[in-house]
Amino acid sequence: MSSTTSSSILELKDISKRFRTLQALKNVNFDLRQGETHALVGENGAGKSTLMRILAGVYDGYEGEFWFNGKQVHFHNPKEALNAGIGMIHQELSTMPTLTVAENLFLGRQPLTRFGSVDWKKMQRVAHEELANLGFPEINVNLPLGTYSLGIQQVVEVLRVILSGAQVLIMDEPTSALSPAEVERLIQLIDTLRQQKRSIVYISHFLDEVMRVADRITVLRDGQKVGTLERQDTTLDQLISLILGHEINATLPSVLPEATEQDHILLDVKDLSADVFKNINFQVVAGQILGIYGPIGAGHFDVARAIFGMYRFDQGIITIDGKKLPDKFSARQAIKAGLAYATESRRKSMFLDEPIFRNITLPHLSQIGTIVPNQAQELKVATPAMIRTNVQPPDPLNAAGKLSGGNQQKVAIARWLTFPPKVLIVSEPTRGMDVGAKSEVLGILRTLRNEHYGVLVVSSEPETVLAVSDQIAVMSHGRIVAQLDNKGLDKDSLMRLI
Amino acid sequence: MGVQAESSNIQPETAAEARVIQESSREIWIRRLKTLAPVWTLLVMWIIFSLASPSFATPANFNNILAQVATAGILAVGMTFVLLTGEIDLSIAGVMGLSAYVATQFYTIHHLPEPLPVIAGLIVGTLCGMGSGIISTVIRVPTFMATLAMSLIAEGLLLWTSQGTQYFKLSPFPLWIGSAKLGGDDGLRSGVFILLTTICLLIGYLVLRYTRFGRYVYMTGANPSAARLAGVNTRAMVFAVLTISGFTAGLAGIAAMGRLGTALPAPQSNFLIQAIAVVVLGGTSLTGGRGGMWQTAVGLLIYGSLSNGLDNIANINSFQKTFITGLVLLAALVVNIVFAGKAERDRT
Repeated sequence: MSSTTSSSILELKDISKRFRTLQALKNVNFDLRQGETHALVGENGAGKSTLMRILAGVYDGYEGEFWFNGKQVHFHNPKEALNAGIGMIHQELSTMPTLTVAENLFLGRQPLTRFGSVDWKKMQRVAHEELANLGFPEINVNLPLGTYSLGIQQVVEVLRVILSGAQVLIMDEPTSALSPAEVERLIQLIDTLRQQKRSIVYISHFLDEVMRVADRITVLRDGQKVGTLERQDTTLDQLISLILGHEINATLPSVLPEATEQDHILLDVKDLSADVFKNINFQVVAGQILGIYGPIGAGHFDVARAIFGMYRFDQGIITIDGKKLPDKFSARQAIKAGLAYATESRRKSMFLDEPIFRNITLPHLSQIGTIVPNQAQELKVATPAMIRTNVQPPDPLNAAGKLSGGNQQKVAIARWLTFPPKVLIVSEPTRGMDVGAKSEVLGILRTLRNEHYGVLVVSSEPETVLAVSDQIAVMSHGRIVAQLDNKGLDKDSLMRLI
Repeated sequence: MGVQAESSNIQPETAAEARVIQESSREIWIRRLKTLAPVWTLLVMWIIFSLASPSFATPANFNNILAQVATAGILAVGMTFVLLTGEIDLSIAGVMGLSAYVATQFYTIHHLPEPLPVIAGLIVGTLCGMGSGIISTVIRVPTFMATLAMSLIAEGLLLWTSQGTQYFKLSPFPLWIGSAKLGGDDGLRSGVFILLTTICLLIGYLVLRYTRFGRYVYMTGANPSAARLAGVNTRAMVFAVLTISGFTAGLAGIAAMGRLGTALPAPQSNFLIQAIAVVVLGGTSLTGGRGGMWQTAVGLLIYGSLSNGLDNIANINSFQKTFITGLVLLAALVVNIVFAGKAERDRT
């Protein structure tokens, strides 16, 4: 574990950061050498993002010392950090798709002629030269950025940050939205940047990529640094066991057999492809929970939306209980066919100003009584569903917005209990919940499964998928890379697959 | 191994945070006072005008107020539906004029028997609303633009077919709707019209409050993506409310023509602003999901009392009236938005 060397351009000493009751980082040391790519890895919640945000100047309230270029610094905002030479490449690109590539590169810093107007010729020339230096001479700087793929847009974003004077680049999950070919190109770009003696902090869930691009790897666990490893002395297995904090189980689980004919297939997805996912195939069988696990950006949430008619797909066949859905369908048709969907965003799926019972009964008004919704009848439907999901406090007249996040999620599921669909799709069923609420929600899903409904759980939390699924499909970069029986599976086997 | 939350938007949920904020009875009262802000505005306005002018608080003048706002009232019923879905209908003035003119032409030129000309006018209004609905839900032009286009189309058709001709000979049926008294010669002036407006408001109230459709209208405006997730066909809702608004515009146009006693060859554009002002004054949100027909009725009375009250004050001349109306409207809107907007919703 190397600490300060003379070639370090950036050093963090004993960094600690608290959020109210939560100790996000505790006495973390980190250093970055000139021309080095240093990866930060760890589970969700290990403290990677917090450390990265301190580096980029997003958080200014922390303890510890921050040394950069031989001076002690303390950034109060990202602009100060960028002016000093530390720039961040965001997960969501902050470029403008309707402006040209050149305009994006010089956003806010356009070169001027001596008359004070924008010097377009110089801008185009410099933009082209700089892109060629990075190995992308084929990019036409006069086309709108939006005409290029996400991978190229990311190259432009990287160059934009470099042109604003960054010596140190922080890359936050740079490959999560990219196709495999684009990932290769990004890895080449990082090699070029390394030759140009730029330093990179690289944050990723994709450990195989980390093993390819990083010179050193720092592992965080529960807000503390576990260690910094030289890449060439490290194996993937060592890395995973350091991340998880225990020895890994080295055997890979066997591949799951196809569903046999006597299984009642409720949801059959064949060759589903869209811009962010390709060739998705899976089946949800009655009395079974299928979990789709993938890191953020793997495309699994968009698959769920597509099955529900809320994300446009280019090809593929979706069959529900033997009935094929049309090529284009709305959420309403999906519901009629027997699907229900609880999204990962409660704000998009709930009426927060409305009482809880109306949130529960809205999809079923036509089944409850006549054309006139009657509050007494609605309560007769909503109250048992609330009691079954243990919504606290159990007052159906309360506004849904007054409930805590976990209880809102219970309402979102309670909605589908009285008139259950054939298949319930739930994205991130337990996000942000405490242990008790988590097990309650997972218990409800298991009950539905035992009553022979189909359940599809989509999540970026391996614990959730492992805890509740009969089978697990693993998605990475828009593709299902494995589908396995959830027997003897654990987090490390899932992490190896992505 | 505890999983920590890294970013502020994903907070761990603790037992303490799961507690629900319980309102004290005092807070409930404050909230009620705030939701009723339009009613207080109306009462304050009545008190001020009664003190300023002895002729204001008389039964005859109250009749005046009702007669003056009857047209805007019918328009506001349709507009309430539209605004509740978070959309807008800018075509109502043009549609009003066109429907009324069509009804007159069918009577005077084509000699259709009563009440067919009126029905034809209503159909034209409804078709205009459906047209806006198709443009905005099928072609997905925002309603702001779709209904603006429809407004010009309706106005254009009106100018084209009328060639500038004004008709003074109207069929008796619209005349009866627009100007007949209710309850004998000493009865309510424009009583039939006022009754018609009241019936429209009542039907609107019942539909919004007591039907599935009404619930869907609110939900579409409150949170469109959540409504779609629950299986509500939000585009059909937008189409439906624009159709309703087209129908009420047609009805208002025909009744207003009867009250005026003449079919004008050009639209009366001030009705569009009036209808929107009335609905928003009552406390219905422009962004949708909040408000209702009861609020619209209050807004209608505020608007009518303001306009009428200023007429009753001797030292305000008609040249100053518009300016003062504007200021008072602004003040009323600020009060409503600041108070009612913050207060929790109390619907219909």
